[in-house]
Amino acid sequence: MSTVLQDDDRKTFAGIADVLIPAAEGMPAASEIGIQGEILDKVLGFRPDLRENLLRGLRAAKGKEPRAAAETLNKTDGPAFGAISLAASAGYYMDPKVRKLIGYPGQENRPYNPDETPEYVRNGMLKVVSDRGPIFKPTPK
Amino acid sequence: MASAGSDRRSESADVLIIGAGASGSVAAKHLSENGFKVVCLDQGPWVDNKEFAGARPEWELMAQKRWHPNPNVRDLENDYPVDVSESDVNPLMYNAVGGSTILWAAHWQRFMPSDFRVKTLDGVADDWPFTYEELEPFYEEAETEMGVSGLAGDPAFPPGKPLPTPPLPIGKIGMKAAEGMNKLGWHWWPGPNAMPSKPYRGRNACVRRGTCLTGCPEGAKASMDLVYWPTSIKNGAKMITGARVKEILVNDKGLATGAVYIDRAGRERTQKAGIVIVCANGIGTPRLLLLSTSKRFPNGLANSTGLVGKRLMMHPYAAVTGVFDEPLESWLGPAGQTIQSMQFYETDKSRGFVRGAKWQVMPSGGPLGMRAAYGGRPLEEAWGANLHRNTKRVFGRAFEWGIIAEDLPEETNRVVLDPTLVDSDGIPAPKLIYKNSENTRKLIDFHLARAQEAMKAAGAVSMTVTPLMRDCGWHLMGTARMGENRETSVVDQWGKAHDVPNLFVYDGSTFVTSSGFNPTGTICAVALRCVKHLIANRRDQEIAA
Repeated sequence: MSTVLQDDDRKTFAGIADVLIPAAEGMPAASEIGIQGEILDKVLGFRPDLRENLLRGLRAAKGKEPRAAAETLNKTDGPAFGAISLAASAGYYMDPKVRKLIGYPGQENRPYNPDETPEYVRNGMLKVVSDRGPIFKPTPK
Repeated sequence: MASAGSDRRSESADVLIIGAGASGSVAAKHLSENGFKVVCLDQGPWVDNKEFAGARPEWELMAQKRWHPNPNVRDLENDYPVDVSESDVNPLMYNAVGGSTILWAAHWQRFMPSDFRVKTLDGVADDWPFTYEELEPFYEEAETEMGVSGLAGDPAFPPGKPLPTPPLPIGKIGMKAAEGMNKLGWHWWPGPNAMPSKPYRGRNACVRRGTCLTGCPEGAKASMDLVYWPTSIKNGAKMITGARVKEILVNDKGLATGAVYIDRAGRERTQKAGIVIVCANGIGTPRLLLLSTSKRFPNGLANSTGLVGKRLMMHPYAAVTGVFDEPLESWLGPAGQTIQSMQFYETDKSRGFVRGAKWQVMPSGGPLGMRAAYGGRPLEEAWGANLHRNTKRVFGRAFEWGIIAEDLPEETNRVVLDPTLVDSDGIPAPKLIYKNSENTRKLIDFHLARAQEAMKAAGAVSMTVTPLMRDCGWHLMGTARMGENRETSVVDQWGKAHDVPNLFVYDGSTFVTSSGFNPTGTICAVALRCVKHLIANRRDQEIAA
């Protein structure tokens, strides 16, 4: 089996990816962001371990109706379905347009002032906890 | 193989440390600054924090493989496989300079006073050979070395000194959880984390990126390669990476003389030493001791009791995840813990079990992580338009109350050498036999019910309950327990093996019980106590010639 992605593989991937991630709820379909192109290459670059299972699944699904192919893979070849669905969803949620739509800035650096008195101290929320006193059992004598 | 420091491969060390994780790193720093010639062997490499993907879009994708905490999933050359076919829980670890602190969540916890006296108080397991009060000064010193952030005054612990840096923000998720706890009148406190909130001793301040569990790209989190090793190397300690130890050697007097290891070129090497300290974690340590058989020690080193490998404790972990109507930015760190609760930590026998659990609130990560639990479910449930609906409903609006259940030591829970499985050097791999007890099951059921109440009080609109997470075995303890009775323990309270007077164990293997807390703070404090005793008593310490 060739381990190089062929045009047919990309076409099959786009079809299944759109079943998994369709245009709905104001979100674009996977193929609309070009999931089958550079994004897929990028995902496989990060995760070469996915390639074998992904290709096996895509080649088994070649030429089949995408929804039926996805259903069959989900039921009969978990590792292949897992690789295809992970590549599709990971690529999708790595895309900046998609992240903007779901309000996700990524794992960002969020500045804060460590010397500022925390809100839970200012508003007395924590005081009620300390006012109840110790809750530990001391070392027995 | 790579080494730091001068090439002293053929030289004998004063002290050989096996494993550069939490305890080995503490030991190396203090020994080297007190004039000991230290060599440390670690099977892994140095990790450059530029390798961590936390600040890049592929973070979650890489978290599921390259930076996965389960060595069987990660499957790197520096990992060894672990047979888990008879274990309820998968062990988690990282093999590199820094050990599992490379990937730990840096929850910095002390144990409570009762944890050291469970036999006296609850009539189960055994008391530790020392008390909380005896360990307290070492907690304080370790907290200073690690740059812990947090707020003093937690009524779950005896009063102590302020931590070195102020607490990290608890974020919207911490506030939401705390509001629920206050409605119920239950304990909570901002969580202490081994990540400074201000620049500290050459490390950066935590920036709340929330990717602690896959390595800290900021160089803020206290991983041992950053906290201890720069000083140790400056002090002259030698680190040999890519060194997989296969056996500890002994002489005809029954003293440890060093270790045989295999380097990454496949060559067998010997490192001699006057003293050997094993710090390879609760699985790696018993594995190595069991591998080190000889005429004098046919059942493995330090194993005259047969206890090496037994009493494995891994802290079963359960969780309740709540979903809220409002955006909570629940991808923000620390991850790390935002708040914690010890409301149900101490034993209340009316509950039908003994001991308890610590709870903590952690963020829920990015959108991809939410997909991880969907494998094998019907297509329409997890995918299609439901994918978008679920993401909108849950992403950024959910957090978890995690429950660390104290599991009591049982000799049937154990690490053994696998009869067939081997690592990439052909060395027998460990096999875990580990089942949850009735006490643990009752404990988890009770805590899950209370955590659901806490989530409801906080205003959760829906909840998911995880009764036992399989990938949860971060805390590897008990497999070479300490004690003063040489017939019922492997090492004494200073980590010295009863059977081999110049062999020490400093890691979580020595723990008598597990507590319900993240153990690294106690691993560091116990290692510090042990190594200071060794340094103070160096003139009386027997060594291999």
